[in-house]
Amino acid sequence: MSIELKTKFGQIDISNEVVATVAGGAAVDCYGIVGMASKKQLKDGIAEILRKENFTKGVIVRQENDEVHIDMFIVVSYGTKISEVAHNVQSKVKYTLDKTVGLVVDSVNIFVQGVRVTNP
Amino acid sequence: MSITSLNGRRFAEMIIQGANHLSANAKLVDSLNVFPVPDGDTGTNMNLSMTSGAKEVQNNVQDHIGKVGVSLSRGLLMGARGNSGVILSQLFRGFSKSIETKASVSSQEFAAALESGVETAYKAVMKPVEGTILTVAKDAARQGVIAAQEHSDIIMVMEEIVKEAKASLDRTPDLLPVLKEVGVVDSGGQGLLFVYEGFLAELRGEALPAISDNFSMDKLVSAEHHINVQGHINSEDIVFGYCTEFMVRLEGKKTFDEDKFRLDLSELGDSLLVISDEEVVKVHIHSEQPGNCLNYGQTYGSLIKLKIDNMREQHTAIVGDTHATLETESKPKKEKQKFGIVSVAMGSGISDLFKSIGATVVIEGGQTMNPSTEDIVKAIEEANAETIIILPNNKNIIMAAQQAKDVVSEQVIVIPSKTVPQGMSALLSFNPALEALDNDHTMTEALSHVKTGQITYAVRDTVIDGLEIANGDFMGIDEGKIKVKSKEKLQAAKDLLLEMIDEESEIITIIYGEDASQDEVDELAKFCNAQFEDAEVELHNGNQPLYSFIFSIE
Repeated sequence: MSIELKTKFGQIDISNEVVATVAGGAAVDCYGIVGMASKKQLKDGIAEILRKENFTKGVIVRQENDEVHIDMFIVVSYGTKISEVAHNVQSKVKYTLDKTVGLVVDSVNIFVQGVRVTNP
Repeated sequence: MSITSLNGRRFAEMIIQGANHLSANAKLVDSLNVFPVPDGDTGTNMNLSMTSGAKEVQNNVQDHIGKVGVSLSRGLLMGARGNSGVILSQLFRGFSKSIETKASVSSQEFAAALESGVETAYKAVMKPVEGTILTVAKDAARQGVIAAQEHSDIIMVMEEIVKEAKASLDRTPDLLPVLKEVGVVDSGGQGLLFVYEGFLAELRGEALPAISDNFSMDKLVSAEHHINVQGHINSEDIVFGYCTEFMVRLEGKKTFDEDKFRLDLSELGDSLLVISDEEVVKVHIHSEQPGNCLNYGQTYGSLIKLKIDNMREQHTAIVGDTHATLETESKPKKEKQKFGIVSVAMGSGISDLFKSIGATVVIEGGQTMNPSTEDIVKAIEEANAETIIILPNNKNIIMAAQQAKDVVSEQVIVIPSKTVPQGMSALLSFNPALEALDNDHTMTEALSHVKTGQITYAVRDTVIDGLEIANGDFMGIDEGKIKVKSKEKLQAAKDLLLEMIDEESEIITIIYGEDASQDEVDELAKFCNAQFEDAEVELHNGNQPLYSFIFSIE
């Protein structure tokens, strides 16, 4: 699946991978995120923090009808206001995708899969 | 006076003073906000976060600094808003954690607590972005630790911290490219500096002016310009053309009321900034009538330091400059091509078709709107090539093309293509590797490989080629001869196809015009597929006028 943009010169197809990478990259710019969690963790039962190079595993791009939805599985730092960190990620991801891909995202759903305790 | 030990009460006052100072300057911080999302709310968010922390502290003032710290930390967490707000809460969470058990702190402990706050803040982020509030906090805390080794006076340590925070803030544009681009310092860092300045003022026992000293008009103006630039793209789109800045020395002609002053000026333009103290008011405004703004300002006192720029001129100059450099850069690079192909086409679709198969320049024209010799000469120049091949695609234009050939200095070959399909066929047999004469030969030969059929309508009653044609009838033209006629567009098209297609026909290309509906096109394609099983059918939207269909049969 990919996102199709029509321009007067032709068509641009942007794969979901790209959207996921951009979204993941934008998310880690946000303060309070200490990692992306694999979306499979529900099955595995282990909240494994993904390494930087594959943080997109925690990003799912879904297309329903003409709408684009993004699900992000994140691990936040202990002691931050989780709702605020999640909200920051949402606005940053939405903004970045709009700016770099020209893609208007209908929803950015945040799943906080873990909290990393740094200094208990 | 020196302070060597900081207790809870004094710390609480520092927090409140810091929050107030940030609050007073929240708008400035907002205006600097470009990262991570330029939504201009950093100041508002930080202010709400800090105020929430200060409120919690205010309700829990006591001597034990550790306990005040806990309140601060809780209040900040509850009120954290936005990226910078969350970072602020982390900075003071780490700070509070480090002094939790202490009733009062020394200068070294204070600096160490700040450092510990920075550590906590850095741990809570996957990818710290330098050039933000994080960097400012880090640099300031490090300087604090160094200063605390020499001074036991917390005021002196705080002075060093503020100084370094300022310096670090000024360095942020070098670390974060987006800041440099816009020409501002980091908004979160600026917010933190306001908090620290509040701390210092409280320690010194001074009251801070509502608007901070270090805040420069320039900074505000550049931030305001940035916001404005985003909205304007064309020079013509600039609604308020004059960037006007002036200062008024208030001389008591009129009682000065900043809110009223701002409100009155806002009628005259946008991007308005008004900053005042007891003596002077600074104004920045984009207005269409700068004179009116100055006159208004003068009613309050004498004008000092005036500056008015015509932004349209500036903008045009910038746009013009880039344009000019681009041109000079691209001209020498654009070498003369060996071959250039000029084609005449009617209808945007056909013109696109020609371009897609290799025409350098396409002149819009054709039946009833023949391009002049001059048009063709212009196209030849535009093609910028040693040898120019012209495809007139209409017998009426061949002459004009021949004339153009005599006018220009370049070598020009006119392929006598009389129809669009012929032109396309010729263009497809063009081979850039061949010499000009060989191309002339193969392309002219290609003309005979294709049969052209056209469907158009009669504009008057007439008898041609033995056919009686009434006004409005559809005519099928095969190679310039009217072969069929019908009241029905589709019938004429089908009849003509039946007439033209034989055993040897392999490809039928249908270029449909602007008056052909999708249904008609579909029906015709179906008809072709059913009737001529061996032939391949191609459909193109030519969008041409007059001719409902053009058939190319090879």
